[in-house]
Amino acid sequence: MLDLAHIPAFANLRSMGDGRGVIARERRGIAVATVMARKGQSAALAAAVKEQFDINLPLGPHGSGSDAMSFLGTGPGRWLVTHDAGTPRFVDSLAQQLDSLASVVEQSDGVGLLRLSGPALLEVLAKGVAIDLSATAFPAGSVAVTQIAHMGVTLWKVDEAPTIHIAVARSMAGSFLHWLEASAAVAGLVVDS
Amino acid sequence: MRIPCPYCGSRDASEFSYSGDATLTRPAPDNADAMFDYVYLRDNPVGVHREYWYHDAGCHAWLTVTRNVSTHEVIDAVLAHDEAAS
Ligand SMILES: [Zn+2]
Repeated sequence: MLDLAHIPAFANLRSMGDGRGVIARERRGIAVATVMARKGQSAALAAAVKEQFDINLPLGPHGSGSDAMSFLGTGPGRWLVTHDAGTPRFVDSLAQQLDSLASVVEQSDGVGLLRLSGPALLEVLAKGVAIDLSATAFPAGSVAVTQIAHMGVTLWKVDEAPTIHIAVARSMAGSFLHWLEASAAVAGLVVDS
Repeated sequence: MRIPCPYCGSRDASEFSYSGDATLTRPAPDNADAMFDYVYLRDNPVGVHREYWYHDAGCHAWLTVTRNVSTHEVIDAVLAHDEAAS
């Protein structure tokens, strides 16, 4: 009998170099879904999200909500939803709650999530991100879909500490870790468990 | 070259795929002569041109970009979806 083991996307995350320039923690056990508004249903979708979750659906590249549940704007009429409140079968119930207003696709096993912080974080991310992540150009709450070393990433600035959440396709998690370790080693990469 | 995506903001051209002339309309498939012209007889303009770009490393939106193909100056970029709806 074959046993299936749950292996987190960033199970191989480890500390590198000296110092505490970048502090990384994998966000585990989080339900993730993509939500796309159906044609002509954007206003009804925004009203439903407000009513059911008390979240203002962002119309641009911004995040709304909290660590417990957030809607991140990733494109016109498209959002990445994360849910960390432990509701069983959350994505199924989300699909039912938004039935006929949006297409909801389960992504929980499809993306790896990291929480990054530390004094050298922006300096290290600048080695791979071709957009300005400073407080003026990318204030807390901003979301960017872009790429790092040709790998697609979704970045969300949580606060100006700065703390940045990053979502990477699970199949790219190993390559992304390689990039992060190589880029952060000079400043020190610490795993915060 | 940078393209000002209406959703994402200013991004490097490497995030986009070029998708051709935005001034043409695809003819009816049964009009063979018009289809031949549409597929093969393309102009090669200098100066200001309108073209489709797809933001495949960003928001996945189709843009209509007005660009000077001689100088690479990007004059305007709008969501192709919005333009089609207006
Ligand atoms: Zn874009």
